Amino acid sequence: MNKLISRFRPEQIRLLFLLALMAIMIGFFSIQIPGYFDARFVNRISTSVAVVAVLAVGQTLVFLTRNFDLSVGSVVGLTAYIVGQQLWRHPEIPPLAAVALAIGVGAICGSINGLLIAYGRVPSIITTIATLAIYRSFLVEYSGAVPITTNLLPDWLVDLSRLSVFTVGQIQFRVLFLIMIFVVLLFQFVLSLLPFGRRLYAIGSNPDAARIAGFPAQRMVFSAFLFSGMLAGLGGFMFLGRYGNVTVLAGTGLEFASVAAVVVGGVSNMGGSGTVIGAFLGALFLDLLENSLFRWQVVSEFWRDAILGMLILAAVALDNVVFGRLKNLWARAGLQMRSEDEQKPEVAADVR
Amino acid sequence: MTQTPIIKPVLQMVDISKRFDATQALEGVSLTLYPGEVHALIGENGAGKSTLIKIMTGVHRPDTGEILLDGKPAQVRNSQEAQTLGIAAIYQEPMVYPDLNVAENIFISHADRGPVVRWGKMYEDAREILAKLDVHLDVKMPARGLTLAAQQAVEIAKAISLKVRVLIMDEPTASLSQHEVAQLFKLVRSLCREGVAVLFIGHRLEEVFSIGDRITVLRDGKWISTRTRAEVTRDAVIRDMVGRDVKDFFAKGKGARGELLATVRGLGKTGVFSDVSFDIYRGEVLGFAGLIGSHRTDVALALFGIEPADAGEITFEGKTVKIQSPEDALKLGVAYASEDRRQLGLIMPMSIVSNISLPMLKQYLNPIGLIRSRQEVATAEKFRQRLNIRTPSVHSDVARLSGGNQQKVMLSKWLNAEPKLLILDEPTRGIDVGAKAEVHHMISDLANQGIAVIMISSDLPEVLGMSDRVLVMREGRQMAVLDRADASEESVMAAAMGHAELAQTAEQKAAL
Amino acid sequence: MSANQAAMPAAGESFLSVAWRRLKSWEGLLLVMLLLILVINSTLAPGYLTINNQINLFILSIEKIMIALVMTFLIINGEIDLSAPSIMGLAACVSAFLFSRGTNFATALVIALCVGLACGIFNGFWIARVGLNSLVVTLATQISYRGLARVFVEDKSIGKFPEWFNRLGQQDLIGPFPFALLLFFFLFAVALVILQYSGFGRQVYVIGNSKDVARFSGVKVPRVKFMLYVASGLMAALAGLLLAARFGAVRGDLAAGYELDIITMVLLGGVSIFGGSGTLYGVFLSIMIILNVRNGMGLAGLSGHFQTGVIGVLLIFSVLGPNMINRARAGVSRRRMQAELRKRAT
Repeated sequence: MNKLISRFRPEQIRLLFLLALMAIMIGFFSIQIPGYFDARFVNRISTSVAVVAVLAVGQTLVFLTRNFDLSVGSVVGLTAYIVGQQLWRHPEIPPLAAVALAIGVGAICGSINGLLIAYGRVPSIITTIATLAIYRSFLVEYSGAVPITTNLLPDWLVDLSRLSVFTVGQIQFRVLFLIMIFVVLLFQFVLSLLPFGRRLYAIGSNPDAARIAGFPAQRMVFSAFLFSGMLAGLGGFMFLGRYGNVTVLAGTGLEFASVAAVVVGGVSNMGGSGTVIGAFLGALFLDLLENSLFRWQVVSEFWRDAILGMLILAAVALDNVVFGRLKNLWARAGLQMRSEDEQKPEVAADVR
Repeated sequence: MTQTPIIKPVLQMVDISKRFDATQALEGVSLTLYPGEVHALIGENGAGKSTLIKIMTGVHRPDTGEILLDGKPAQVRNSQEAQTLGIAAIYQEPMVYPDLNVAENIFISHADRGPVVRWGKMYEDAREILAKLDVHLDVKMPARGLTLAAQQAVEIAKAISLKVRVLIMDEPTASLSQHEVAQLFKLVRSLCREGVAVLFIGHRLEEVFSIGDRITVLRDGKWISTRTRAEVTRDAVIRDMVGRDVKDFFAKGKGARGELLATVRGLGKTGVFSDVSFDIYRGEVLGFAGLIGSHRTDVALALFGIEPADAGEITFEGKTVKIQSPEDALKLGVAYASEDRRQLGLIMPMSIVSNISLPMLKQYLNPIGLIRSRQEVATAEKFRQRLNIRTPSVHSDVARLSGGNQQKVMLSKWLNAEPKLLILDEPTRGIDVGAKAEVHHMISDLANQGIAVIMISSDLPEVLGMSDRVLVMREGRQMAVLDRADASEESVMAAAMGHAELAQTAEQKAAL
Repeated sequence: MSANQAAMPAAGESFLSVAWRRLKSWEGLLLVMLLLILVINSTLAPGYLTINNQINLFILSIEKIMIALVMTFLIINGEIDLSAPSIMGLAACVSAFLFSRGTNFATALVIALCVGLACGIFNGFWIARVGLNSLVVTLATQISYRGLARVFVEDKSIGKFPEWFNRLGQQDLIGPFPFALLLFFFLFAVALVILQYSGFGRQVYVIGNSKDVARFSGVKVPRVKFMLYVASGLMAALAGLLLAARFGAVRGDLAAGYELDIITMVLLGGVSIFGGSGTLYGVFLSIMIILNVRNGMGLAGLSGHFQTGVIGVLLIFSVLGPNMINRARAGVSRRRMQAELRKRAT
């Protein structure tokens, strides 16, 4: 038992648990649905998970600082619309400029959130519930309720969702999926290897200590929201590429999906722990579940949201009750083992 | 003072004053720190120690006065600047990041370790620093599981790695065991050998005398004295701290002990304390002595039902009882006044009236659950007169009262519950001398009225002066119950520090 | 701090001094805001400032107001319930679903109320008993309850309620007064008495200020919280049914997005998001403000979505405003003190 505990950290056990659940799920549905797990299904999942996973990365940054960003759904809708509209009016805009425009619009939204939260000291839940409404109402006013449709967009964008860079067997690695993988790896790198990332963990782990240590906490919380906004902007571009149709309701509910992904992926709402990889796995898990339920005739597709909410609750409850205990157990086991290994008296051996 | 003139001071605080709203926290305080020395700073709570530290670390800015670093005026506007100047602080509750591992906790504040975190090198460096300090810790272990002592070791390692010149230690021993304190002092000495100036804030005189090269006393925001270890005496320091001779107070008349109120046998809580047994009689003050970390408060919390005990038996007025919640305790007539007035005792932004009536709120409700405010106010007025609470109105927020008056409101709150057993946890901590005497008077009166009082106190003279009997604890175990006649500073301290032979005789006595 | 001072009515003070103290506080600012909006609206639409129009405003938003009253308790207690609008939707959908499947309508209503109760109990269990963060729990149940509502009605719209039920929503009069208005004054009076004058209300404030002091004073913290969530669930079910009656039909997204208006009503009213302070008087003023702002914008021809955006701005202002005021005050007093000290030093 002790050996096992010492080999894996609780966070890793948690991710393994999630992977195991996914495997069980795939196994279960393979029995239930004939021809369930084939290349087409994999390709479908890899496209549909992309948008949510990118949003979940941004949500992870925000969660690490003990905050929420509930405005991402509206930011996705807003950027998707603005970029779509510009491409419709100016089809000559190169793809990279369109991406830059999307990220720029997202950055503006994110920095408004960040300013209010980090410098105005308005709690993030209040701010982003408000900006969720504000960005959406801006979208409605701005668009005049005229939707963007596929036939208005340039061909490269319409084909983007099916464009694959390379294929292995029948499994296609599509552009949207690869963008998502790039974002996940980039931010995994930022969070695990850059001082900025490590300090983000520090701020969430013990805000008082971070303040006393003189970390620019306000600036870092601002940055987290800025990045979340930029990623939501990128998500908006990907949304546009994937669906091609943008109404004023585009992206509604994605904020819940991204929160669900990070919570299921083991990012703590008390800040300080969780990884981007975890958030990605959380998004993948939820997407797999949703797509499987969709194909499973036994329950109606309308169960989706009810299950989503319960999964968030289950993940939080599990984290607080079970993994909280596991963490303590692990810490204690580590201490005891060390004091058994070394006969020297040591400071850490006095477990009270 | 008697420093050799060749050594130049590293940090000088000159004529510092600071005011918060109504209180003058510091008035013209000066302090000099030399490299390689431990400068101990003592004073009662509210003497201005924390304000002084916060000014040194840039949390507050002084209203007047200046800070000299190496003889040159320095601006310390925030903690970042303090850090670049080489000033760091370690607090009673170490400021570690529980989710980061030991090595990262040491190096997280470094700005000069390159653009990318090199984990391997960081582990190596961390191991090296810890080895230099002779601390054995797994550098990959998250700080969450470390003991307070180990967390402090990590903070000291961090200070060393940041090449601090001035290290401020704010009551670092408050929650440490004896053994851990010794370890900590070893670390402090090795810091001094590296030329670091240490400002050590302590509240246990024994520790201050053993670690401090020079000792400065503050009182009521003013500088009182600075002495070298050779010149210092216990009496002089205490006189400086309290402003008059100690023997003036702490006197409870020997009242008549009433009948047996409660017996506690083998009380325990897994992993916290075990096997606590005592009797308590009406009209008696039972002192709970012991160093911090002896888990005296946890026994009180068990008796009050906040953290119920999981072993042992309590007999109250002849009946065996289970106390599972504060409501149970209040029903029996057990009340507990916490030491932490701000966090656990009073609702600061609410009125005196609502604070006093809170535990007994049910008594002030009419049949449909509304508050009978006239009765509530009458109760508050009664206590205001009885305990001499100085306030313009009983409707004032508690936050506006002075510490001593807040303490009286808290006592009123619990006296209003008409307890048979009143547990007072550090009832005089952080209040001024005059109010302290009043509180002592009050405790005597309560005992004379037949209330059984358990008084937890770290103030040894107070325990000895006030208690009919003294129960001494150490690290969760009951070491002795001493009668007033047998209780002396020596016998209590010996038991608290675990000297076996004395404790044994005391236990035999307790059995009688 | 001013919000705190105004938090509890202190017995024994004269009415005038209480009134004056309130006027200088956040409530005073709200009153000025309200008057301003009324003036602007009156110039926009002649005949705006009639009793009938104001009553109409209440009738059109009574459901949000009902929830806001309970939410005031929750936020003062230091918690929040984001799931209330979803419970409204769920209760309405359940009743419509059952009725469309041939259940007796009265039974359907009772079952819908029980569903609301169950939702509240479920929230309360996780928050008060297990001790999870109320934001996360109610965010999760907000999604879940809404999802369940969709399970019942799918993407259809169910109408055809009994006539008397529809009439209930169509500003039916009880005597000379509209039903909704009576309901509001009844609920407001009850809430006011409970919050400011009862032992339970006192406990709500105490817990909001410090859970620990409350626990150490023998207050049953989990029980108070639990009761608040149950009340919130039940009230939400009631409000949802009322809304269904008013609309005459039910869809899965009934009352979706209401949390914005509801939370704004509470926070703009001077209730601290961190708990422990605020009054129902302030909430009443802020309800009036929000109703009139929305109505005025409607008169000016602005769309519902635009109005929602403005409410979002108001919500941010309701927290940002006091923050800025406090910071400015602290700055002024610090500068004043330093000036005084410098004077003394020279």
